[in-house]
Amino acid sequence: MMVVIGLGSPFLADDSVGPRVVRELAGAGYPGVRFVEAHAGGLLLLEELSGTRGAIIIDALLDENLPPGEVVVSGIQRASHNAACSHDCDLPEALDIGRAMGMPLPDASDISLVAVVARDVTTFSEALTPEVEAAVQRACAAVRSILARKNAGSPAEAP
Amino acid sequence: MNQRITIDPITRLEGHGRIEIFLDDAGEVVSAYFQVPELRGFESFCVGRQAEEMPNITNRICGVCPEAHHIAAAKALDELFGTPCLPAAARIRELIYSAFFVTDHTTHFYCLGGPDFIVGPDAPKEERNILGVIRKVGLDAGKAVIACRARNHELIKKLGGRGVHLCGALPGGWSVAVTPEIADEARQIARQNIEFALFSLETFHRIVLGNAAYRDLVQGDLYAHQTYSMGTVDAHNAPNFYDGTIRVVDPAGYEFTRYRPQEYLDHIAEHVEPWTYVKFPYLKKIGWKGFVDGPESGVYQATPLARLNVADRMATPRAQAEFERFFDAFGCRGTGPGGRNSPVHHRLATHWARLIELLYAAERMQELADHPDLCDPNVRQAVSCRAGVGIGSVEAPRGTLTHHFTCDEHGILTSVNLVVGTTNNNAPIGMSIAKAAKGLIHKGVVSDGILNRVEMAFRLYDPCCSCATHAIGTAPLEVTVRRSDDGTILDRISRG
Repeated sequence: MMVVIGLGSPFLADDSVGPRVVRELAGAGYPGVRFVEAHAGGLLLLEELSGTRGAIIIDALLDENLPPGEVVVSGIQRASHNAACSHDCDLPEALDIGRAMGMPLPDASDISLVAVVARDVTTFSEALTPEVEAAVQRACAAVRSILARKNAGSPAEAP
Repeated sequence: MNQRITIDPITRLEGHGRIEIFLDDAGEVVSAYFQVPELRGFESFCVGRQAEEMPNITNRICGVCPEAHHIAAAKALDELFGTPCLPAAARIRELIYSAFFVTDHTTHFYCLGGPDFIVGPDAPKEERNILGVIRKVGLDAGKAVIACRARNHELIKKLGGRGVHLCGALPGGWSVAVTPEIADEARQIARQNIEFALFSLETFHRIVLGNAAYRDLVQGDLYAHQTYSMGTVDAHNAPNFYDGTIRVVDPAGYEFTRYRPQEYLDHIAEHVEPWTYVKFPYLKKIGWKGFVDGPESGVYQATPLARLNVADRMATPRAQAEFERFFDAFGCRGTGPGGRNSPVHHRLATHWARLIELLYAAERMQELADHPDLCDPNVRQAVSCRAGVGIGSVEAPRGTLTHHFTCDEHGILTSVNLVVGTTNNNAPIGMSIAKAAKGLIHKGVVSDGILNRVEMAFRLYDPCCSCATHAIGTAPLEVTVRRSDDGTILDRISRG
């Protein structure tokens, strides 16, 4: 089982890009892939990752050196906006804890981050800014590409 | 030449928080402030929507305490629609809420507050975390923490319709009744939670109170403030997280006032400072006298410690025993007005108070799970729109949480106001930071250990900046020392 996690608040402008991408992809019906919307990182992500063989986390990224809308694919070493929950810990620390507890967790190399550089994550709105809206399909394509590489199956009718 | 130290953002706290400390020419602390970034447009986002959407909107404000917002909004809707919650539905709400308190207080103790004591306040930052706690307390403790969170989250998901952001609340009710299978599971989980809470308290006694240096830190003056205390109590003056009246006691322990949550505007006002958009609630009848202690100052705290201070007893037996032990330890048991306990003003005792609440929540869960009518199917009722006002309140882990909605005759929201748990504590948080900084920073000497001890003054409140500002996220800590006249960076410390 693979898990695809869209991180972020659906009500905070570009912060909602993760859940938005997950909603776009979930309808395609990938076998062996679970789609999840989540709002907090850290230990909560650990619970979502438990028992999976790999994960893709989609999130908004705040990086003033990159243009809004840029899609960045990386490993989890790169901190995203929400992957850490400062109420408990960040994702690498959560994985260390989980492994120490003997939880069945994917290797760090099997967890990918698809991040979309955000313009605004501080205004209450259900709409993405234009640059990030334009990046949604590119982010979806990045997730599909990773799923294909991981042999996670294909949707019945790939979009 | 004045200096400015910025701790930005504060480590291990939800949301971007920042502490700024200003030093004079001699390197002594002049003042210290707590700041959080602004998020915009929450009220305008909500106005014009159907009121019954609010439990599912407000529970997305925060990734940490969505259950508190969901339940507070549900209670506001009960009043807005004029439909008192059905008894079976109220039991489900409180059962979920108790499970939430267990997970939330567990996370704070083992991940946020506990590392300062269990690993040590001066230990290297990379060891002052839950992994450090596990190394000190043992792998089995770590497994117990993870298992506690997982089983309660699973129960919340089954009772609430969805995991983190539950969706069961209806005006006057709850979406689904409890099945006998889930009731059995809840009973088993409650028993496990009680055992876990007792284990956590035993750990606290052994490692924290059994260490003279830590005991001195908790019982010393550095982290003490004499303010009013606020919390929700039942008819017998025992804390109740789900429902009751709000009681305020003064620094000597006299009851200052008690009121229904719907009357909050008669008792609470908000002070505004020019350097931050964060508001500072205070007791209206006393007035705002600045960031100062004492009965003449309207500053109050609404925390686990405050909830014990306003209480005359705990409603469950094991929590009651620990409550008595707590006040005994500070020489406050029965020494207050009319033989009630004197308030404990040592703010680091909040960590102990939090564990007592963890035990109470677990015991209360068991009471609710054992209720003979827990599986009563009568959890929904028909409602109709009407113009009006709805105010709902619960005790969130971080303080009294109030949702205030107004809607028109079509059930469309016309105004929204939230007073979240952390906001209540904005003034005392600032006061605690300033007092710790003044006591610890001298001649401009700032070390990682000193800054952590300043952060401990902040962390004990378990503030949730995402709730206070409706923000989320985190980033590494950076401490910058600046010359105040031209902003030149004199020193910079990065961690995280």
